Amino acid sequence: MDILSLLTPIYFVLVFVGIVVGIIFGSIPGLTATMAIAVCLPLTYGLNLNMSLALLLGLYVGGISGGLVPAILLKIPGTPSSIATTFDGHPMHQKGEGELALRTGIVASLFGGVFSAAVLFFFAPALADMAIKFSYVEKFLIIFFALTVIASLSKRVLVGLFSGALGVWISLIGTYDTTVGGNGDTRLMFDFMEPYLADGFSLLPVLIGVFGLSTILQEAAQGVKGGGLAGMALSHRTRFSLRVFKGQMVNLIRSSSIGTFVGILPGIGGSAASVLAYTQQKNFSKEPAKMGTGVPEGIIASESSNNGLTGGALIPLLSLGIPGDSTTAVMIAAFTLQGVQVGPLFIGENPQTWDMIIVSLLVANLFMFVVMFFAIKYIIKVIMVPKHILYPGIIVMCVIGAYAINSGIMFDVWTLLLFGLFGYIAEKLGLEIAPFIMGFILGRSAELYFVKSLESFGNLTIFFTKSPIAMLLWVLIALSIGYSFYSVMKTNHQAKGANGG
Amino acid sequence: MGSGFTQLFDVHIEFSQSHLVFPAIVGWVLVVLFGAIVVVYGPGLVREFRSGKRSLALGGGDFDKFRFLATIALTIAYFQSMEVVGGFFPNKGFGFLIMSIPVMFLFSLLFVHGLTARKLVVIGLNAVILPSVAWYVLKELFRVSLP
Repeated sequence: MDILSLLTPIYFVLVFVGIVVGIIFGSIPGLTATMAIAVCLPLTYGLNLNMSLALLLGLYVGGISGGLVPAILLKIPGTPSSIATTFDGHPMHQKGEGELALRTGIVASLFGGVFSAAVLFFFAPALADMAIKFSYVEKFLIIFFALTVIASLSKRVLVGLFSGALGVWISLIGTYDTTVGGNGDTRLMFDFMEPYLADGFSLLPVLIGVFGLSTILQEAAQGVKGGGLAGMALSHRTRFSLRVFKGQMVNLIRSSSIGTFVGILPGIGGSAASVLAYTQQKNFSKEPAKMGTGVPEGIIASESSNNGLTGGALIPLLSLGIPGDSTTAVMIAAFTLQGVQVGPLFIGENPQTWDMIIVSLLVANLFMFVVMFFAIKYIIKVIMVPKHILYPGIIVMCVIGAYAINSGIMFDVWTLLLFGLFGYIAEKLGLEIAPFIMGFILGRSAELYFVKSLESFGNLTIFFTKSPIAMLLWVLIALSIGYSFYSVMKTNHQAKGANGG
Repeated sequence: MGSGFTQLFDVHIEFSQSHLVFPAIVGWVLVVLFGAIVVVYGPGLVREFRSGKRSLALGGGDFDKFRFLATIALTIAYFQSMEVVGGFFPNKGFGFLIMSIPVMFLFSLLFVHGLTARKLVVIGLNAVILPSVAWYVLKELFRVSLP
């Protein structure tokens, strides 16, 4: 078996390191799995693709899982995806059941992670097989659909769409690449910018800037308060037992499925998965009134769904080349770095890497379980590292990542600063970062597919009439936009009702 | 063979101008969306500005102007000095190593609250150890490019 020869001690060390660092990032409010991957990407420069993915998937799983620690102990979600864990987790901690809450969440996370890895294993190759047959028209429509879905789930639909379009527009700066059939001319810039921007902005400095440096700027603007996560003492009046999961199998499967499904939809964050699974559990619960007062079923719903997201978000990435969330968007940079293009051909052309991704996801979930279940007390101590020690280190890692991505271009470091400031200002202006990043990543592909479709067919109606898939995609696009306007109207109606009544 | 109706949607793209087609479309989409945002959210925003609920000025509330501006200034100084110092030692990564140590120290001093002698020692050790280890592992072991 080829794959067994790749499971070397170094491989396991990398997954382990990824898990531990990911848990630390996930446990510290303000830091996320996305940031962990963006900041640690330079560490993969000297590794091959399989080893890089071992580290990155460890960071991903650890980063998503770590968020439950402060969610339960401090009522502050470490990552947005653990928001619903606070609803029951913290009340349990206050009742002296902190250890029970944490371990319940950890076991639920393991279930969600393994469930989503299984869905990934069975579903991604089938989707990729279907996507191989897509022409430029369908590929363009899939990107269009991805952008409308992510924009329609934004707080303000129009702003979400604007942010996505802005990301596309910025991605187009530079040369219309001849290697993909472009004419080699530059656009959207002045002549003096050509030496720096001929190839456009590099992906990784943009991502590190938006997710890494802008977080530091936001913290600086708030005074870098909180010298560490002091006060995280573990209460353990009630010991953990697997009996907590008695009667919760439906909850586990439903919540993991919700997480995985939400992961498949491009750009929707873990917070949506967590809240959706929690709400569904409340709807189906035998004792809904108890939820929110400190019952394990709420933690089980939230944690199995957010870890269910991990495998789900990898499905569109590995089968269509479209990231399922901002964290997998950063992972695209890791593939690019190794000269591998993700998309419909990826699984067929890289069977060994595909197998390793599945194995790594399983190993990462098992390591996450072992580290968090048995060493939770030590993890709590580690994440108390003060921000004034942590943040300067993050800035240094951001610089390394930006500079080294193109083997030493200082302009990439300035790009990091530019997009760090952009991320900060965008947050203040209310722009939506997730659609922006998705637009930036997919913009050039969208252009290629759109222009080539028109060059080939010479008529705009081809986007509607090319195939049944194209028509189906338009229906889905209409539904996603229609749903968003329906939710806005519903919210406005409820707000008026609340004000009036 | 297109019918009269579909001929209305015929498009011919000159190859020499093909680099401008998509940017122009996206540009117009941005303009239209911006207009729609102004129409839909504009009145509410104006109300928020008039009532003082929202402000374009830096400051107010919990905003730490000193730490924010000093972080930006220190970052610019870090990047600029790294490039200059790195120029003296091409391909050695010394620009990164030499400048990261004092800059990390200054960042920590900027971010810390309630500085004590013990904290100062930890900050100093962190500023020396982290860039040195990062430089050694990445530059010497992994041959990663550093400024």
